[in-house]
Amino acid sequence: MADIEELVEQFKADATRTGAVVYEAEGAGDARDYVLKLAQERGVRHIVKSKSAVAEGIGLREHLEKAGIEVRETDIGQWIAQLAGEEAGSETDKTVEQVAELISRETGQKLEPEGDVLMAAARRFLRQSYINAGMGISGADFGIAETGTMVNLSNDGNDRLATVLPLIHVTMMKREDIVATLSDAISRIKTLVEESGGGQIPSYITYHTGRNTTGDIRGALMARAQGPEEEHIVLLGNA
Amino acid sequence: MAKRVHQALTDEDLQSVMGGRGLPRISLRQRMQMTGVDFDGLSREIRRVKEESIADLPRLVEQFKAAATRNGSVVYEARDGEDANNYVLRLAQERDVKLIVKSKSMLTEEIELRQYLEKAGISVQETDIGEWIVQLANEKPIHMVGPAIHKTLKQVAELMSRATGRELEPEPQALLQASREALRQYYIDADMGISGGNIIIAETGTVVILTNEANGCMTTTLPPVYVAVVGYEKLVPGWEDAAAILRLLSRCTMGMKLTVYVSHISGPSRTDGIPGIPGLPGQGPQEMHVVLVDNGRQLMRDSGDFREALYCIKCGACLGACPVFTSVAGHTYGYIYQGGIGAVLTAFMNGMEQAKDPASLCLGCMACKDVCPACIDIPAMITRLRARSVDEDGLSWKSRLALRSILKHPARLAGALKIGSYLQKPFTDEDSMIRKLPSPLKSVAETISLPSISPRPLHSRIKGTPSRDKKASPRVALYAGCVADYAYPELGEAVGKVLGETGAVPYYPGGQSCCGAPAYFAGDVETALNMAKTNIFALEEGDPDYIVTVCPGCAAMLKKEYLSLTAGEGEWRKRAEALAGKVRDFSQLVLEMTPGVEKKPARESKITYHDPCHLKRGLGIYAEPRELLEREGYEIVEMNGADACCGFGGETVLNYPELSNSVMQRKLNAIEAAGVDTVVTSCAPCIMQLRGGLDKRQSKIRVIHSAELLAGDN
Repeated sequence: MADIEELVEQFKADATRTGAVVYEAEGAGDARDYVLKLAQERGVRHIVKSKSAVAEGIGLREHLEKAGIEVRETDIGQWIAQLAGEEAGSETDKTVEQVAELISRETGQKLEPEGDVLMAAARRFLRQSYINAGMGISGADFGIAETGTMVNLSNDGNDRLATVLPLIHVTMMKREDIVATLSDAISRIKTLVEESGGGQIPSYITYHTGRNTTGDIRGALMARAQGPEEEHIVLLGNA
Repeated sequence: MAKRVHQALTDEDLQSVMGGRGLPRISLRQRMQMTGVDFDGLSREIRRVKEESIADLPRLVEQFKAAATRNGSVVYEARDGEDANNYVLRLAQERDVKLIVKSKSMLTEEIELRQYLEKAGISVQETDIGEWIVQLANEKPIHMVGPAIHKTLKQVAELMSRATGRELEPEPQALLQASREALRQYYIDADMGISGGNIIIAETGTVVILTNEANGCMTTTLPPVYVAVVGYEKLVPGWEDAAAILRLLSRCTMGMKLTVYVSHISGPSRTDGIPGIPGLPGQGPQEMHVVLVDNGRQLMRDSGDFREALYCIKCGACLGACPVFTSVAGHTYGYIYQGGIGAVLTAFMNGMEQAKDPASLCLGCMACKDVCPACIDIPAMITRLRARSVDEDGLSWKSRLALRSILKHPARLAGALKIGSYLQKPFTDEDSMIRKLPSPLKSVAETISLPSISPRPLHSRIKGTPSRDKKASPRVALYAGCVADYAYPELGEAVGKVLGETGAVPYYPGGQSCCGAPAYFAGDVETALNMAKTNIFALEEGDPDYIVTVCPGCAAMLKKEYLSLTAGEGEWRKRAEALAGKVRDFSQLVLEMTPGVEKKPARESKITYHDPCHLKRGLGIYAEPRELLEREGYEIVEMNGADACCGFGGETVLNYPELSNSVMQRKLNAIEAAGVDTVVTSCAPCIMQLRGGLDKRQSKIRVIHSAELLAGDN
């Protein structure tokens, strides 16, 4: 088992080399302020956010909202909790009827309490949020030190949209969640799939390394192709 | 084909972006090794995974289908392009699809899926910026990884201006910004997304795609229907098997540890977010289809001889290393897959007949094999491809005359060249160089100044087999090879002199013929075998301890190809093995004979060393000649691309003198840039090419074999 500090150093080196900005936050407050300051400096008014244990743990959404920035949860369960005025990270206990009311109110249309109807409305509504957002915030299930990579597992794919569509992307990650190598990552994926998915592989497992680039237009390898202009990674310790 | 080669070489725009680059300092492989990438280990791992996967393909297909179906994907097995295209079209029509976004995929280019759908009235938008440029230009990709690398900024600006209706400056950032804006709307509006697949994983029914631009993530996540179109050969058993491929594919394509996005997609999007109703369709595609395409792959697998082509991970490393590709670029080959590997794929996807022209471009320099992350022996497959077409159609009359009527018979060759040595007189300048010749050799003599045929070839200069010496000095048989024998007999004499000084007894066994390489690489296996037997017999004379050559192409024949040629020939095979064990390169033998000799004091003269293809990549010898030269007190200034081909390539210089010339010019530029007075090498044909080329430039740089350099010094 490699030393966490070593893994963090290597992760930082490779993520930085591939165009990400890595910020080692001193604590919850520092992490919240970093993201808020970044959003304010870039004039961000709308943020889309996917599920992140780190972000939820430090009350990031509430912190940004208090500063007048609109933050939209894009995980369906989290979005419903947000509409119900519940705290980020909580599991909602609403019935389908209550959910239908919440989504109806938000989208301004009368929706039947049926799964497909509600999802169609959610899809349409949230789709516009990704397009309008100036910043996307996501978590990472874990990182890979040797490549500076973030790994995300999801069934919905909302994390992929929040990651690539907005102009700025911020990943919130725990320092302890960094594995050494690509092979370790594969073992970790298998464990996660067994533990949380009951053996069912998630629809999307995405490795994301650094800032998107292209070499397709002559001249040079250019940073920022069709995805975000900026990649930030906020690392937070356990304490 | 010669016409297309000419067009490519005289296309100024194309040459400004291709040939104009000059030779890289070191090869991709060396670069990876220098940056600590375990290229050998990883490529062996990829080789293992690919061999096992292709061997076990039927089982993996079933496993993939079961897992993908369990994930909620629909798997369709398509026989060929038509079948696959039709499936996608029908699906699109059933779902009332108007607009499709597509990420980069060589397979969809192979089966022309986009064109098929467009013909049926569906709009298809390429989203990889390079593919989009190619789509706008209505062209094929020029390179399997960089489809539009041949387009100048001005051309790109014109294409994008027309597409976007805006006046765009030929400035990279402006063009990038314009593509970003134009493409973004397509993702949002699209009813279907199509991707290829870099790897597919059987155990979990997963499609893996590697992208850098983020277009792959959007194409596969935004539209409601997602279709992956993938070749069977991309199947691997498990996640661990994919790891080495991920690493080297990222390295070889973009020089990255990992590409920016690696998406593993295992089924449609779903969510448990609505309380009490788990497994609803999520925000991504509600359907995922995987179309597995054969289109000649099963035939390739069954062929045995060409199965290796299925191990290709389409990284394009071989193209970057290929002196032909980097001169004429991808469109010259005429089919969708480029380079040497492209010729093999073309044979199975388009037909043997169609593969002939692309295969004829290969110089046989083996640079592709050297950088292949799946250790694919592309040059060997090219040779087998040529052999197959000789089997089917026979040789051309010119080749038949040259190979079977003359080269095969030492006496006839000697006779023909004797006549040549008289005929050449009016064309030979005072320094024994030939600078002009009438047709059909006119264009060759325009490319390189040729050596005149020696009236006293090597075989008439050194004679006799020594008797077994009591002191048991090693007996070294000289194998001359045609070029040294007739053009540079003094080279053979120099080898004899230097070896004699080391205490060996050099001699020249009679009855040698051409080594057979020209026949072998032209696909005339029968003639090559005949020559092999002649030489095996000749070189047994005097029972030598070693056999030394001054032509690594000949050495590689004697040491390697004779073994495969005599594989079914019983006793001959044993004799070929005995012969192979004795073959040495000159520098290798001198070092072996004189261990522990001290380094001589430094000399004034600075030299550079040219690695002959067949010596370095064929026989793995590149350190020995340098060690020997440095021991002799020479300082070697390494030129850029010291191991890049000189452009001779046997038949290439005759069939495509213009191509040979283009490859050579880059080499000569590198030589001149090294700032030395002498180029040392270990190969008679390389000497012929480089001397001839430098002479045309009226350069003062001399080209010399290491044996001549050493013989002159002592």
